[in-house]
Amino acid sequence: MMVNARNSEASSGTARWLVGAVVVVALFALPFILSQLGRTGEYWIWVTTEMLIMALFAMSLNLILGYGGMVSFGHAAFFGVGAYTVALLMKKAGAPLVLALALAPVTAAIAAAVIGWFCVRLIGLYFAILTLAFGQLLYMVVFQWYTFTGGDDGIHGIPKPEILTPIAYYLLCLVLFLICFLVMRMIMNSSFGLTIRTIRENMERAKFIGVNVRRFQWYNFILAGAFAGLAGGLLCELNRFAQTEFLHWSKSAEPILASLVGGMYSLVGPAIGSAVLIFLKIIVQQAHPSLVETWAIFLGLILLVVVLFAPGGLVGLYQRLTGKSET
Amino acid sequence: MSVQFYLFLLINGLSLGMLLFIIASGLTLVFGVLRVINFAHGSLYMIGAFLAYSLSLLMTGGSLFSFFVMLLVVPPLIAVIGFVLEYTLFRRIYRAEHLLQLLLTYALVLILDDLVRLVWGGDPRNVTRPEFLAGSVSFFGMALPTYNVFILCIGPAIALGLWLMLYRTRAGNLMRATVSYPDTLGALGVNVSWVMTSTFMLGCWLAGLGGVLMSSFANIDLAIGMEKIIECFAVVVIGGLGSVGGALLGSLIIGVGITWLPVLLASVGVQEASRWALVFPYAMMAVVLIVRPWGLFGKPER
Repeated sequence: MMVNARNSEASSGTARWLVGAVVVVALFALPFILSQLGRTGEYWIWVTTEMLIMALFAMSLNLILGYGGMVSFGHAAFFGVGAYTVALLMKKAGAPLVLALALAPVTAAIAAAVIGWFCVRLIGLYFAILTLAFGQLLYMVVFQWYTFTGGDDGIHGIPKPEILTPIAYYLLCLVLFLICFLVMRMIMNSSFGLTIRTIRENMERAKFIGVNVRRFQWYNFILAGAFAGLAGGLLCELNRFAQTEFLHWSKSAEPILASLVGGMYSLVGPAIGSAVLIFLKIIVQQAHPSLVETWAIFLGLILLVVVLFAPGGLVGLYQRLTGKSET
Repeated sequence: MSVQFYLFLLINGLSLGMLLFIIASGLTLVFGVLRVINFAHGSLYMIGAFLAYSLSLLMTGGSLFSFFVMLLVVPPLIAVIGFVLEYTLFRRIYRAEHLLQLLLTYALVLILDDLVRLVWGGDPRNVTRPEFLAGSVSFFGMALPTYNVFILCIGPAIALGLWLMLYRTRAGNLMRATVSYPDTLGALGVNVSWVMTSTFMLGCWLAGLGGVLMSSFANIDLAIGMEKIIECFAVVVIGGLGSVGGALLGSLIIGVGITWLPVLLASVGVQEASRWALVFPYAMMAVVLIVRPWGLFGKPER
């Protein structure tokens, strides 16, 4: 199916480590530079924090989308479960942030385990539609259940620990993002990750050589759900509210678009894609007030261009331009 | 509650289902022939509804003449939009992966929905029903809205028309052949891409027709496209992707379910029953996909 998958991730040269190190140092230095800019700087710290979180969300989806070849239109469900876990634990149970954030991926993983158990029985389009159905089902439940989730009002005023200045929260998100990145990288380079890719390339053959395809896909689905839950929890604390929009299927589309724009056959592609999309959105909206309303048209046009002319995304373009095949 | 009341709800549910069928049959036809699930189908339906609204402003509202003009003008206009979309965009992605196809149609949703907002704004609108259809018909002592009865008649007519076209005409034969053996058909000298374009236009025509009928049925706003496309997904999944007969059954199940469930739940004592009943299409869709992924009327692939 996806022919241009290259699996030479293990053979990373020193150059790549160097680039990675520079990027990481830059990311750590960024908020301190931005904080010199006053109000706009504060705003951009908030934006970059959101970028990190949405990048994590996109990368989590890419575990099943790019690596697993499973198109899920219900990934926001786990994002939302994570967000509501943090919101409910902190607002209603008065739990500390650390505990809430630690439990967000757990509850999301449980939700993913239940939903995934059904979904991995289907393939292709049917899998996509079933994930959509489950995602919307969960959205509806959260939307209706006033007494527990606050319905369409959402949950507001989630407490913020004193020590968490915007910079501190940025750093927390960055550290968690990097840890997740390394863990995902490790998983996808392990035999588990290779098996997942084998299934993507040729499910029949994977079955023939004795791989329990469903089980591997199920585990992968749960993993992706857990990371999405963490991202949801982080965004919830950043915004200090949880709302039903977090679970809506249009939210599920966001990481798909990010993966497509960034390039879904690599680990960093989706992260770059979501950062680029958020950045473009803000640039477009700041360019002229009337453009605030038309962002969706821009997004649609970007998407059309990518689908028709560059299905490999930005990473794919970069590889085509440099003639490199490192994915 | 009396039997009559349930019968009343049943008839209303059926007319809602018929409306849904008109839209969903377009989606399922397009899927059957083109193998593309068109997210933008809901947006085309919405454009149809808003075009009908604009047309109704140009003419004396509530006249039978204006209603017929809407019915005759809007669906073909949507079909023309469909032609442009198919010819310029869809054609390029028939051989691409599902994901790219889905995303292309999703991109169209983003663009079309926002264009609708730019053109018509976000306020809810409605179109006056023609006088002839505005009243109510008494039926076993119940006062049924004439418009619902009218839709209840149009729906089966469309279903019959589609069936006749698919099974009794050359065009229909070509469409069905394209579903099963597109390559063979091409080798026999049939212009398959023209068949695909026509099918797509027919699907859009149906979406436009649904939009026109909806514009006089209830208020229309910017959310109706998204709302309807998900309902159509449910319908099409329940009936079986690509099956028109299945879409009919699925529509009726969803239509009747949506109208009946709130009452049933409320009578068992569930709080906020009308809100919970909204879960029904999704639950139904999930159950069918788990138990019979190919739908009630479809056949398993491979």
